[in-house]
Amino acid sequence: MKKKLVSVLMATAVTTSLLAGCGGGAAQQAADTAESTAEEAKDAVEDTAEAVEDAAEDTAEATEDAVEDATEDVAADDTDYGTGEIKIWVADNVVDFTKEQFDKFIEANPQFAGYTATVEATGEGDAAGNMITDVQAGADIYGFAQDQIARLVSAGALEEVEESNAEDIRKTNDAGAVTAATVGDTLYAYPLTADNGYFLYYDKSVVTDPSTLEGISEQCDAAGKNFYFEVNNGWYQTAFFFGTGAELTYDTDNDGNFTKCNTSYASPEGEVALREIIELANTKSFQNGSSVSAATDCAAIVDGTWDADAAKEMFGDNYACAKLPTFTGSDGKSYQLSGFGGYKLLGVKPQEDENKLAVCDALAAYLSSEEVQLARFNAVGWGPANLNAQNSDEVKADEALSALGEQLKFAIPQGQYPGDYWSLATSLGDSVISGEIKADASDDDIKKALDDFQATCESYVQ
Amino acid sequence: MAHGSKIKKKQNLATVLSALGNDLKKIGLTFKEGDIKTKLSFIIFGLGPLLRGQILIGLTFMVLEALFFWYMTGFGWMYLSKITTLGTVATHKVKRKTVYGDNSFLILLFGVLSVFAIILLILIWRLNVEENRKEELALKAGKKLPTNAEAFGSLFDKHFDKTLLFLPVTGIFLFTLLPIVFMIFIAFTNYDYNHQAPANLFTWVGLANFKELVSFGSEGLGPTFFKVLAWTLVWAFLATFIDYFLGLAVAILINKKGIKFKKLWRTILVMTIAVPQFVSLLYVMKMFANDGIINGFLKRAGLIQNAIPFWSNPMLARITIIVVNIWIGIPYMMLIATGLLMNIPEDLYESARIDGASPWQMFKSITLPYMLFVTGPFLLTQFTGNLNNFGVIYLLSGGGPGTMSYAGNAGTTDLLVTWLYKMTVTDSNYKMAAVIGIMVFIVTATFALGVYGLLPSVKDEEGFQ
Amino acid sequence: MIKTGYKTKRTIGNIVSYIFLVLISIIWLFPFVGIVLQSFRSYATESGGMESYVIPHQFSLDNYKFLFSGETNYLRWYSNTVIIAFFVAVLQTIVVLCVSYALSRMRFKGRTLLMKSWLVLGLFPGFLTMICLYFLLKMFGLTQAGAIPGLILVSVASSGMGYYVCKGYFDTIPKALDEAARIDGASRSRIFFTMTIPMSKPIIIYTALVAFMAPWNDYIFASYVAFGHDKSYNVAVAMFRWVKTNDYQGYFTRFCAGGVLIAIPVVLLFMFLQKYYVEGVTGGAVKG
Repeated sequence: MKKKLVSVLMATAVTTSLLAGCGGGAAQQAADTAESTAEEAKDAVEDTAEAVEDAAEDTAEATEDAVEDATEDVAADDTDYGTGEIKIWVADNVVDFTKEQFDKFIEANPQFAGYTATVEATGEGDAAGNMITDVQAGADIYGFAQDQIARLVSAGALEEVEESNAEDIRKTNDAGAVTAATVGDTLYAYPLTADNGYFLYYDKSVVTDPSTLEGISEQCDAAGKNFYFEVNNGWYQTAFFFGTGAELTYDTDNDGNFTKCNTSYASPEGEVALREIIELANTKSFQNGSSVSAATDCAAIVDGTWDADAAKEMFGDNYACAKLPTFTGSDGKSYQLSGFGGYKLLGVKPQEDENKLAVCDALAAYLSSEEVQLARFNAVGWGPANLNAQNSDEVKADEALSALGEQLKFAIPQGQYPGDYWSLATSLGDSVISGEIKADASDDDIKKALDDFQATCESYVQ
Repeated sequence: MAHGSKIKKKQNLATVLSALGNDLKKIGLTFKEGDIKTKLSFIIFGLGPLLRGQILIGLTFMVLEALFFWYMTGFGWMYLSKITTLGTVATHKVKRKTVYGDNSFLILLFGVLSVFAIILLILIWRLNVEENRKEELALKAGKKLPTNAEAFGSLFDKHFDKTLLFLPVTGIFLFTLLPIVFMIFIAFTNYDYNHQAPANLFTWVGLANFKELVSFGSEGLGPTFFKVLAWTLVWAFLATFIDYFLGLAVAILINKKGIKFKKLWRTILVMTIAVPQFVSLLYVMKMFANDGIINGFLKRAGLIQNAIPFWSNPMLARITIIVVNIWIGIPYMMLIATGLLMNIPEDLYESARIDGASPWQMFKSITLPYMLFVTGPFLLTQFTGNLNNFGVIYLLSGGGPGTMSYAGNAGTTDLLVTWLYKMTVTDSNYKMAAVIGIMVFIVTATFALGVYGLLPSVKDEEGFQ
Repeated sequence: MIKTGYKTKRTIGNIVSYIFLVLISIIWLFPFVGIVLQSFRSYATESGGMESYVIPHQFSLDNYKFLFSGETNYLRWYSNTVIIAFFVAVLQTIVVLCVSYALSRMRFKGRTLLMKSWLVLGLFPGFLTMICLYFLLKMFGLTQAGAIPGLILVSVASSGMGYYVCKGYFDTIPKALDEAARIDGASRSRIFFTMTIPMSKPIIIYTALVAFMAPWNDYIFASYVAFGHDKSYNVAVAMFRWVKTNDYQGYFTRFCAGGVLIAIPVVLLFMFLQKYYVEGVTGGAVKG
């Protein structure tokens, strides 16, 4: 009797697996990813026939075109770009600007008229995080700060810039911007602005001489006002280290992986820089921060151009800006604060539809072109990365941008850094501010902190 | 003690095994003694009941089986079949177009779902066999089977629990259990920022992540894990008990005879419950900032020279968090205690007063024991809730200040949950987050189950009726 | 003589208590007063950012005007949150009542196992599963544009595990009542609908109130599900950006104004229903 039971069970099992097997085969064709559009099915076929990839692709393309041609009138352009929706993420204050520019873009390129745009306010910080969460649901074109580029490339959220556009970009934008948009030796993004650096905003009535760090601190102290410098932020912190000549850069390969760390933080230069941070953090007027609107009783703040309007409003008639000050190090020498010169970039997401990709490429190129960069400067004051735009009279006349330009002479173009670096730098800064690294720390303590820092930076390399 | 539990475990195992054996025997018996209807039901679910006129029951089984195969063939199998490798086809480019390959994430997720579906099918099959047996025996004994209307009606009477629990259980299964099991599996993969679906594949790595956690070298997260765990426990303990006793004290104060406007005082306190925390706590955070109004006021009043580093000094930040948490925690306890204090018979106090007991003595020997006894479950949920109290830490300190002595970007006020949050959302380090999540889970679950078993109200569930 | 001594002592005691209560009240209300005052500081004529003073130099309604001006989707975010809160409150209450009744009144196989495993499941750190929930919801099309039903679904789906307080309350209702009704031939469902539910007003209101308040605070998961789709943000997600990201300079006072508008309905509701809240929470917490 037992035998019978087993045989029935077997039979069930076989039926199950047969049924499942059949279905599985069909399903496999239907979709490798969760969606099961006809488009995808075509992809799946291509998957299996990788060897004859190009041939298959061409046939598929031809079929598709044929189908489309049959249903629609033959377009004047040799390619019909079809219709679609392009999702764009930009910072809140350029949402309207971007919408206007999109309309102009369509006007100038009627072959893309089938496309509409949704522009959402998603700031540079959030954009990268959201893209990484779910690339497929993310924006087609999005703005981001350059420090995110390696992370975005390794998550597959950035499409390489098309060859013809790439040449153009390399020619017309400043060299730092091109470096910033490059990972390995591939250009992955369109430079948008070259104003992602920092300098000093100050209140003329309080700070009469912004040339030395010590001087600014003293004048703020005397007036009972605050001096903001976000030393627990890896971005602002480098002003000290790079200023004394310490070094920290990473090399990346084409996939956005970090292959090498070039650092000399654990060095006499690094020690001078860290001692200076400690000294500053222990002055009475020091506040850790870099946002004008979050600052109170502020007489000086190290900040970027995006806060220019807010700073103007805060300081009123006493508004002034300057390059970062110099400081006298613990070794008695004088150093100029350095820092990052950074860029904002525009990225295009990898697309499963070649036509849409072409439209996105064209649109991104347009949004980062000389005219639009200039228009953007006029609309919201973002400093252009385009060389011609940089040399235009109105840009040159801008006070904040010229202070930034002055500072950028001492800054280094920001390369790629692993996400962990920023958190690590925050830890270092916090250790100083909290007094864990004391004001009268011994040379050994300082050295140890920097050794640890450097070792951890190096550990991020795979 | 340990010995005893071992024996108990062995016994448990033996019981389970023999139960399973009996069950199989019963299934065999059902098949052996069953008629053709029953035998066919082994493959086509519910055929037996259907042929015996139990249309409702039969159809339910049949529909469930059909649903299973529909799901598996159309969807489940293509993921389940790849679960051993989590996908092999990499994403690649055809000209400039991106062709996504296997999505390891979805393979794992829906693979797990498919495994659950299979387990569920086996259980349904088992029920189906049982139902056949029951019906056959009933018919043999000459009893009449319940009519369809009766079967339907029983869903609202005898089997009302099934009706009530069906949707909630399904919901919890799909949106709580499934994700948790999924995340547990993630701990055994290399899913992190370098292996993100859909652009990259990830795969199984065995116990490598657990090894990283317990390694104490410069790269291991071990030491940091224990430091964060220690603070988490200290925090949960202090936050629970300080709030508990202060809340009780405030409730007693307001309940005191002769205090007027009782309702007003309570209303003022419960504002902290009613106003959404993301508004109130953010403001409180700004108040205590180095350049916030509290420091500003103290400076202007000449009481301090330099700002008090409420958030930037690790020790002070921890204290500030606990203090601010009192602001949130007292009102809850106050509300609960208010209701309970009224339940304590007044004559207990009266007789104590006649015996010449001081208020403190009365509190110690009447109020407190009573409160501790009845609020046991509340204390337990508060404690476990505080272990995972994300909102307060996230909104106040964000886990900071950081320190060079912690690895893995943990801050000095980070709880295990906030650290997990950073790992997943900021650093996309899912594999390590999953490992730490499992650890957190083990710690809290052992503790909670242990205490839960000891609670008087649970031990004696029927007692309160 | 003794009596007057007792009386003075009591009066002194009361005075001390009053002083204490007033002090507590000041501490408790201070942040709220601060938020309200900041919300009346104009971002246009004064400053929209942080300031070291609390009382604005001149009162203005600019921040509130801004919220209603249509420059942002504030009203949309607000109504999203109200919709979520409403549906979550209704559905979650239904689910919790069903589960609690089944667990409290009926005895079935696996009952204690179910209760224990739910207790344990609730302890698993939720953030870990966010990404998983996101993709589950995405499968049903309930992310981004569909985020609002998605958020409702997730909240309601796992709400059965929150049976604790409500079951505790049901446990305190004498079983004898049920049994008497059953002898009279009433079915379980009839007892549930016509006896238990009418007797459970406090716990129903408590459950609904707690469920209604939670979505106003939901920042983390809501931002995860709705990202990149401004129209499906709730107030917490949308307004959090005003204080947390650099794109919005000087939005702090606007944040305060938005916060005040959010707090008003929740606080009012809470004030009115406080009595039930206390009854529910004491009844439930005690028994557990």
